[in-house]
Amino acid sequence: MSIINYASREIQFKIVYYGPALCGKTTNLNYIHQRINPRNRGDLVSLATATERTLFFDFLPLNAVVIKGFVTKFQLYTVPGQVIYNATRQLVLRSVDGIVFVADSQWEKMEENVESFSNLVENLARQHMSIEEVPCVLEYNKRDLPNIAPINYMEYVLNNNKKRLQSFEGISSTGQNVFAVLNAVSQILLHKFSKQSEAPHATPPSPGIPADNVIPENKRARA
Amino acid sequence: MNPIPALTIQDVATLDGALADFLKKTDSDLTIVIDRGGNVISQFGDMDLMDVTIIAALAAGSFAATRELARRIGEVEFNALYHQGNGNHVFMNSVDDDTIMITVFGSRTTVGLVRFYSADAAQRVASILKSLRRNSHGLAFDAKDISTASIFADP
Repeated sequence: MSIINYASREIQFKIVYYGPALCGKTTNLNYIHQRINPRNRGDLVSLATATERTLFFDFLPLNAVVIKGFVTKFQLYTVPGQVIYNATRQLVLRSVDGIVFVADSQWEKMEENVESFSNLVENLARQHMSIEEVPCVLEYNKRDLPNIAPINYMEYVLNNNKKRLQSFEGISSTGQNVFAVLNAVSQILLHKFSKQSEAPHATPPSPGIPADNVIPENKRARA
Repeated sequence: MNPIPALTIQDVATLDGALADFLKKTDSDLTIVIDRGGNVISQFGDMDLMDVTIIAALAAGSFAATRELARRIGEVEFNALYHQGNGNHVFMNSVDDDTIMITVFGSRTTVGLVRFYSADAAQRVASILKSLRRNSHGLAFDAKDISTASIFADP
């Protein structure tokens, strides 16, 4: 749950990167940490195993001035993607304000994507929240790999709910659309708390990706 | 419209008063009140010592993880945790169902003293927060106050 402190004129928001194992959640945070001005961020904290698999969570605090008169603190978390760590995912989701669901675009990962998204919906329900209420965007990651599913298929599989979510193609290893995704979820959650509660781009105009965020075919790196 | 729970300047001053009293009695360095999701509600003491936001996130995680351990031995949760270092130590105690208090202290004091006064401090903080929740203030800002430019930019 976000909280505002009038004495320090600060607002805090918690954004969680969710998705199946090895989909690129930590890579998103690593890229943001590397690229953002050190004055506007804290240290990246990773609670990971010796093989760099997330054990508990990764955490990155960011500061920005986006609301007149207040410093806005965004706290970015990842969850461990491995199926066995569901109890940990529930803990990290506690008090969440916004979610980035990172999907792995490879064909063989589609079942894991669907399972992880269902798991997200279930874990939100445990907190009496629903995917329709929580600001959420989809990041179809690893678009540079050769064996990827078409975007329309991913939309059909993951974004076929009552409320369509904003979605982006991404390559988190090179930073493609990493900031676009973060900006999108931040704007949606900020507008949720504003007096005009409808987010400007909460519903995409048509199935698929916002035109500005599609990676042209000739710019997609191939493995 | 979804108002954000807000702490007014007066609310923060009341909380700070309780925390300052606790720090003085225990001669600790820093105390932080956080919700169980890791958000900082209030803090008092030497903030230059460390990044309070990171301490809050890790402490919330630590508290949540040991709650599962407590359940395995038939407890609801451990209502206090102590991490002993060589020179600096952390004591955490439960304030209420939603809130935890973290105290960082060094060799000027002892865990016994911190533990003793933390119970009273937690009660005072719980009482203040209960009153705040009852008379909760909320903020919903104007959409025009939100910057339309990209919040985070890739340089």
